[in-house]
Amino acid sequence: MAASGAATPAIEAIDLVRTYQTHTGVLRRRPMTVEAVRGISFEVKPGELFGLLGPNGAGKTTTIKMLITLLLPTSGAARVMGFDVVHDTTAVRQRIGYVFGGDRGLYDRVSGIDNLRYFAELYGVEPSEQRRRIAALLELVGLTGRENEKVEGYSRGMRQRLHIARGLLHDPEVIFMDEPSIGLDPVGARELRQTVRSLVDAGKTVLLTTHYMFEADALCDRIAVINAGRIVALGSGADLKDAIAERTIVEIETFGVTDEAVERLRRDDDVSAVNMEERDQSQILLVQSERGAHITQRLLSLLGDTRVGKVVAREPTLEDAYVHLIATTGHDEARAARAASVQ
Amino acid sequence: MTALTAPPTRIAPNTLRAAWRVFWYGGRMSYGMLFNWARPSIYIPTLIGGPTFQLFFFAALGSYATDRSPAYFAIGNAVQVSALAGVFGMTMAIANERWFGTLPALLATPANRVAVFAGRFMPFIVNGLLVSLYAFGLGVVFLGVRLAPGSIAVAALALLVTVFSCTAIGALQGAISLRLRDGLFGANLVTMAILLFCGVNIPLHELPGWMQVVGNILPFTHGVEAVRQAADGAGFRQVGWLIGVEALVGIAYAVLAFALFVLLERSARRHATLDVR
Repeated sequence: MAASGAATPAIEAIDLVRTYQTHTGVLRRRPMTVEAVRGISFEVKPGELFGLLGPNGAGKTTTIKMLITLLLPTSGAARVMGFDVVHDTTAVRQRIGYVFGGDRGLYDRVSGIDNLRYFAELYGVEPSEQRRRIAALLELVGLTGRENEKVEGYSRGMRQRLHIARGLLHDPEVIFMDEPSIGLDPVGARELRQTVRSLVDAGKTVLLTTHYMFEADALCDRIAVINAGRIVALGSGADLKDAIAERTIVEIETFGVTDEAVERLRRDDDVSAVNMEERDQSQILLVQSERGAHITQRLLSLLGDTRVGKVVAREPTLEDAYVHLIATTGHDEARAARAASVQ
Repeated sequence: MTALTAPPTRIAPNTLRAAWRVFWYGGRMSYGMLFNWARPSIYIPTLIGGPTFQLFFFAALGSYATDRSPAYFAIGNAVQVSALAGVFGMTMAIANERWFGTLPALLATPANRVAVFAGRFMPFIVNGLLVSLYAFGLGVVFLGVRLAPGSIAVAALALLVTVFSCTAIGALQGAISLRLRDGLFGANLVTMAILLFCGVNIPLHELPGWMQVVGNILPFTHGVEAVRQAADGAGFRQVGWLIGVEALVGIAYAVLAFALFVLLERSARRHATLDVR
C-alpha cells in the first residue's frame, strides 16, 4: 500500500539486489550466478531530477527494470510513490512513464500518431482528450507535421522523441529515462535536456541514466554513480567534483603514445590516475594529479620520445570525478560481480 | 518545444470500460502494427495468390487421384486457408512484440492483459474469414461448390468458429515464440499439421488411428466437417455438436495461450527470461 504524507519519497530503493542465473559451455553447462545489482539504496524526492551514472553493465538498466516492475528484485525492496514495485504493480504502472533510448521499441509499420494512440488506450487516456494530449506531446517533442508518417521512416532522433512522447502520454508522476539522449544529434540532445528540465519544473520526478557527463551535470539535482552493481558515490554534481577538487587535470595530446609510456605516467608517485581517449590521429591523455600544473614538465619527460601536441592544465569536471570513481572502485567490484559464484 | 497543457483525465485500468477500449480499439490497431503481411506486396501473394493455387492444386490432385468431386477439396481448402491467416497472423501479433522490442513498453503499462490478448484475436478472425470467403468464391465459380441456401448461416457459423480456433492455436504459437527464438517456424508446422491431420483433403475416418487422435485435438477438424455437412444441406441440429466441439477446442487453445502469456510475463519478472529491453 502507498504510504501517505509529504515526506513520501517518489522513488525508494532499499538494498536492492538482482542476480541472474546463466551458464557457460555447450556440452558441459556450468551454471553461474551473475550479480547485476548488489545492494543499491537511494531515495528520490518528489520533483527531483536524479541521475544514475555508470559504465555499460554497471546495473543501471537492471535497477530501472526493477523500479518499473519489469523485474523482481532478488532481495531488497523498492517503492514508487509509496507503492511496492513487487506487489502493487498496477498502481506503480499507472504512475510511471518509461522512456528508453535506442531505435527499437516502437511499432515501425504504423505512423507515429498511431503509436501514441495505441499507448493512450493502454494507459487509459480518456478518448475525448486523446487528440488534444497527443497534439500537445507532438508539439512538445517537435514531431508536429511528421506524425502521420510511418515510424520506419523516422530518423533515430525522431524515434527518440516519439519514445519521450509515449512515456508522457498519461502524465505520469515519475518518469524513468534510460539513456534517452543516446543517438541524438547535439541540437536534439539540447532540446531533450530542455524538455526534461521543463518536466521537472512542472513538478515531475525524473530518474535519468546517461553516459553523458555534461548532461548529468547540467540537469541532475543529485547523481548516483553506480559501478559493478553498487553505488560508489551519491551526491550533487558539485559534491562529486569536490571529491577530486584538489586535483588538476593535465590534458596531453599525443601521437602514437605507447603503453609503456602511459604506464610510466601511472607509476609516478604524484599521478593519481591516467585515462586515455582515442581520437582519429591522436590520443588524449587525461592525467590527474594533486600537484597542480607544476607536474606538467615531468609528465612530458616521462613520455620520452612520444610526439606531443597540445598540453592543457584545467580544473576537474564531473567526467573526471566519474572516471576517478570508476577507476578506483571498478576493477575489484567488476570482477566480483561478473562471476559472483560458480555453482 | 512547448510546455504541456493540462494533464489528461484517465480511465481507471481495472474498469470494464478501460478493458473494452483496450480490447476493441487496441485490438484493431494491433493488425497494422504487428502483422507483417499487412501490406499489398505481401498480402496479395500470400493470402490471395497462395490460397488460389492451393485450392486449384488440391482440387486437381484430389479429383485426379480419387473419385471425389473437386468441390469436396475446394471446401476443405477454402476453410483451411483461413488457418493460414489466423495462425500466422496471430502468431505475429504476439511474437512480434518481442522482435519489435515493444514488449517492455507494453508490459510496463497498467492495461488489462486479458483485454490486450483477446483484442488481438479480432482482426485476425476477420482476416481469416475474408480469405476463406474469397476461396469459397473461387470454389463456387470454378470448382462446382454449391451451398444449400438454407444452410448458409450454419456454414458461416461453423466457418467463424473454425477461424477462431485456428487463431487460438496461432495465439499459443505466438506465446511460445515470445520465449523461443524462431518460434514463427512453428506456425508453418501448425498449418501443415492442419492440412494433414484435420480432414482437409482426406476424411478423418480414412486416416490411421493415431492420426485421427491428433486430428481430434487440433483445431479445424470438427469445423471443416461441420462446413461440409452444412454445404450438403445439414442444419444446426445436425452439425451443432461439431460446431460446439470446435468452439471448445478453440477456447481451450485460447485459454492455454493466455495462461502461457501470463506465465511468461511472470517468469520474465522473476528470471529475466523475456527480452524486455
